[in-house]
Amino acid sequence: MKPHLIQFTLNGEKVSLTVEPSDVLLDVLRGRLGIKSPKVGCDRGDCGTCTVLMDGKTVRSCLALAVEAHGADIVTLEGANSRKWTQKLQKKFHEKNAFQCGFCAPGVILSATELLEKDPNPTAHEIKEAIAGNLCRCTGYEPIVEAIEETVKGK
Amino acid sequence: MPITTEFEYVKPKDMDEALHVFSLYREKARALAGGTDLIVHLKENLARPEVVVDVKALEELAGLDLKGGVLHIGARVTFSELIASAVIKGKFPVLWEASLTVASTGVRNRATLAGNICSAVPSADSAPALALYDAEVLTLSVKGARRIPIADWFTGPKKTALLPEEIVTAVELKLPGKKHGGCYMKLARYDGEDLAQGGIAALAFPDNTYRVAFCALGPKPSRCPAVEAVLNGAKLGEKLLVKAGEALLAEISPISDIRSSKEYRLHMAQVMLGRCLETAVARLFGKGPKYGNGNIC
Amino acid sequence: MDLQKLITKPKKAARPEKTDDALVTVGKSVQRVDGWEKITGAAKYTDDTEFGPGLLYAALVESPHAHAKIISIDTSAAEKARGVVKVVTGRNFKHKFGLYMNDRYIFANDVVRFVGEQVAAVVATDPKAAMRAAELVKVEYQELPAVLDAVKAFEKDSPLVHPDLKSYTHVPWFFPKPGTNIAHWRKIRKGDLAGGFNKADLVLEDTYQVPRYAHCAIETHSAIGLYDASRRLTMWTSSQSPFTQRHVFAETLKAFGLSHKDVRVISTYIGGGFGGKAGVTMEIIAAALAIAVPGRPVKLLWSRAQEFYNTYQRLGCTAKIKMGVTKAGKITALDFKLHWDAGAYVEYGANVVNAAGLSASGPYKVDNLSIDSMCTYTNLPPCGAYRGFGYSEFLFGLESHITRMATELGIDPVKFRKLNAIQEGDTLPYGAHMNPTGIRQAIEKVEKEIRWGVKEKSKDPKKVIGKAQVCFWKSPAMPPNASSSAFLKFNEDGSLNILVSGMDMGQGLLTVMAQIASEVLSVPVTKIRVETPDTDRNPYEWQTVGSHVTWGCGNAVKRAALEARERIFDLVQRVHCLDKSTLYVENECVKCRTKPDFALRFSDFVINGIQADDYTFKGGPIMGSGVFMPEFASAISDPETGQGGHPNVHYTTGSAGIILEIDKETGKMKIKKVALAVDCGKAINPDLVKGQIVGGLLQGFATVLYEDMRYNEKGRLLNPNFSDYKIPTVMDMPDEVVPIIIEVAQPDGPYGARGVGEHTMIPCAPLIANAVADALGVRIKCMPVTKEKVALAVKAAKKN
Repeated sequence: MKPHLIQFTLNGEKVSLTVEPSDVLLDVLRGRLGIKSPKVGCDRGDCGTCTVLMDGKTVRSCLALAVEAHGADIVTLEGANSRKWTQKLQKKFHEKNAFQCGFCAPGVILSATELLEKDPNPTAHEIKEAIAGNLCRCTGYEPIVEAIEETVKGK
Repeated sequence: MPITTEFEYVKPKDMDEALHVFSLYREKARALAGGTDLIVHLKENLARPEVVVDVKALEELAGLDLKGGVLHIGARVTFSELIASAVIKGKFPVLWEASLTVASTGVRNRATLAGNICSAVPSADSAPALALYDAEVLTLSVKGARRIPIADWFTGPKKTALLPEEIVTAVELKLPGKKHGGCYMKLARYDGEDLAQGGIAALAFPDNTYRVAFCALGPKPSRCPAVEAVLNGAKLGEKLLVKAGEALLAEISPISDIRSSKEYRLHMAQVMLGRCLETAVARLFGKGPKYGNGNIC
Repeated sequence: MDLQKLITKPKKAARPEKTDDALVTVGKSVQRVDGWEKITGAAKYTDDTEFGPGLLYAALVESPHAHAKIISIDTSAAEKARGVVKVVTGRNFKHKFGLYMNDRYIFANDVVRFVGEQVAAVVATDPKAAMRAAELVKVEYQELPAVLDAVKAFEKDSPLVHPDLKSYTHVPWFFPKPGTNIAHWRKIRKGDLAGGFNKADLVLEDTYQVPRYAHCAIETHSAIGLYDASRRLTMWTSSQSPFTQRHVFAETLKAFGLSHKDVRVISTYIGGGFGGKAGVTMEIIAAALAIAVPGRPVKLLWSRAQEFYNTYQRLGCTAKIKMGVTKAGKITALDFKLHWDAGAYVEYGANVVNAAGLSASGPYKVDNLSIDSMCTYTNLPPCGAYRGFGYSEFLFGLESHITRMATELGIDPVKFRKLNAIQEGDTLPYGAHMNPTGIRQAIEKVEKEIRWGVKEKSKDPKKVIGKAQVCFWKSPAMPPNASSSAFLKFNEDGSLNILVSGMDMGQGLLTVMAQIASEVLSVPVTKIRVETPDTDRNPYEWQTVGSHVTWGCGNAVKRAALEARERIFDLVQRVHCLDKSTLYVENECVKCRTKPDFALRFSDFVINGIQADDYTFKGGPIMGSGVFMPEFASAISDPETGQGGHPNVHYTTGSAGIILEIDKETGKMKIKKVALAVDCGKAINPDLVKGQIVGGLLQGFATVLYEDMRYNEKGRLLNPNFSDYKIPTVMDMPDEVVPIIIEVAQPDGPYGARGVGEHTMIPCAPLIANAVADALGVRIKCMPVTKEKVALAVKAAKKN
């Protein structure tokens, strides 16, 4: 099949590489570009652990072809670490021991970042709605929700 | 998990090019917009196209606007865009409410309304709302354009009236001429993301007329003319709801599957019909739960 | 004689233990030592490890049948496919393996016994090539009759899953019945059962059913193997059990000349375990493939579907209970028969059956007791450890039954439980004696928290409110000689590195180990790094299972820290001529009680020693090592009665209560409030204990409200994905969770601690079932207790 040369911005840096049409964005990020924070969880969009920001919006990188990234601005947690809201969230998540195994953390943090960048004063329901697609099997979600709520309140 | 099936990828810049590809490849071409269904199907070898046509560069598929009582939703408009739209929330609240029950934010940021009705699973959350608002599906091919009423669009489970050389360009909804309240009640296994095991949508108007539609309670989503006939002209009450529930049973044909039994679906269809209508009426008068709240059964 | 009593008798120590108030770090909710790594995306999990462009990928050929003979395997087309390096089948690996019973092959040899069983593997240069080639392997099968139900498998004319059971080797405390599908039958006989039933005023008999469940850690299993040119096998695995894996790899592959020293297992962070990553499942395949392609690393990454159908699942259980009770509410007799559906291979699952069999009385004093816990082979995927290890399953029936009997007798179910609750010193089902326990405090605190006895009404006329309270207990299930060990070493700046092989799978082990060392040595937790295991470098740990590592590994770390402290004191005594008994550590210094101005900073000497008056240096790097083995434990007992041994080291007990709102029409349930009190002996880190309570409860509620593994009549799993095996989202949290920590010290635990990880999940099923019965008068005896079942039961009850 005809390979495609794609160019996009990854965590602020321009990258270009050749991919096959059937290559999945998640696999290319992890396997070819050394970006490991998006994880393989369910591979069909159910769990949210492969979340990346694509042009500012969270998407499931397991449900995107790599060729679709051409021309896009892609940010993973590695790149989001320097964003204001991400940092504020991380501080709270750390304080509250909000994660256990940590495997869902990159996805949850990016989902919460997207929310707060859009609306710094979400309701409790909107907070839950924002991370409802990020499955966590360890925490029961309570400390995660509390940490986001406290970030919002600036506690 | 890699995709093992092999295909070409094209991203046409204009409509002519896109239509040409579809006329050439027909069933062997698949349109890619949000990809949230297609890529799962590619991974699981349920779809084996020869060419995947990325339609996201087609300007003709953009646009979300209300003109002359007709809401035009371009085929590349995502559920997140629908949810963010004040027009949808204000004028087409049942579509707004239904959109909120589709998967989750990370999926809705890519998944499109057009994709939802092209996948045409019986549980499509958006379908009952489209039926209520007398939607039409706009298609285009080298042979020309068609407008297909939503009632004729779904032809069976995962089957639509779309021809192999066609693509969907937009969905258009008609603004009900009068004030209305509405509701989409969804039966799910829990409050989190789930595929509907049953869905009932309703509109209630001040003149005691109603519109009712369902999904996941039969092979294809549909309006419920018999239920509407029972309801129209009357105020909601317990007796009327019982009669409407009986009429509904004649219009649905749920199955037992891994998600729910036929028996429970039949039971819940009636329960949800009552609750959905009551909520729609309450909202008509500015009461009841806010849209997007308390509609998961 | 009870050896545990001897061991735990407080000895007159030279240095008395700190009292609770004097503790500096232990008992404090310090922040996780792995916190920043995990929330910045820096934490590396197994599949994140880089191996360069030489990495090979494996894909499997799997059985489409539940039970079939393999007639032939044709790999020729696959071998010719692009990118293929090697095709491997069972022909190459003839040695059976297992944790407690050797009943598995690496690849099915002559017979496949479940849908999805590995028959062959393709190793290729990229994942797509491997998967495409795997489809080209042609396997011819001859289908055999399959058995998919444990009770049917128990019947005389059932097809046999393992006709050669007689030849299988196993641990001495298993009792298989060759010629049947019974892989192990744990019997407990205590007191006079018939006499007990005679004394009863009410005898109730019923059957309760529990289906299979999946762990659903968000990270699937993965393993990378490299068998290098020096004939050394290195395995990177996502595992709760690196040392156990090393042992199984070395034993299973010894025909290739491997000994334990040649096998190295490296486990980084794991993305959730819950028992599913204990023992050895798919990792043995990666090890075998590494042997098959020497010199090149080969990766096997489980898909989500494989994670569902080819790792351990939780066992299904049909529980038949007959219980006798007096009018006054005293349990006089319990006859409990547990038919376990353990699947096609029970090398680990049989021990779940064993553990449940030893403890199925629940946390109650039952003098006349008979338990039959039967591990049954079926042609469904293999089962093994899952958070709770059999206790969730028997507690559903037992705690449902107790509430029913109390209610029928007109006795308050909570009062009933208090009356029968086990106490310290009571005789356990197998004859040993109960450890100190705070179950009574737990019951009382929960009772208060849920306003037990106060009927509540929903504001919504369509809804009703039910309440329930139950008790639970659990012991670590481990071989009697399961041990832990730890190394601890100082760095130049007085910071510490601790090496253990207990796994942090999220529960916070690394943090707790740092806290224990910190307490002994006065080094702040922020100056302690605790590493994940590498079997070449870290000392031995049996496995991180059974909620035992805070206790076992914690004891080892404490001993290592004490040893390091002794070395410090020895050195200071030698160089400064200060009496050792007057020395103590505080704020990273050695100080002296008799010489208040003496303070020697650790950073001044822990690596480079102390300079003596003659300018020479004394001492050298300060290190410590610690070992812990429960030397009082023994698994040998009378096979017919289960009496005589001391198989369980201790029990953690507790109680949980719920306020449940139920929609009468839809059956939808909302947990308004849940309170869980657990006696963890000592909460080393209360925040982490609460994390276990909140997380465990949601995982438990999911098993009762919606999770359920569904098989078709051919033994194929119908829902191997999160679209149809629903695990809870943030929308599905209870309204309020109240974690309650009880601290009745475990005499042989570090600072009195005992385990808590599994216990928080196990009371959930009977809580829901009893609350539904309380609110609506309908009793659901078959899990899950879905809204569908509740609504339809209410509808049926109305009709009658």
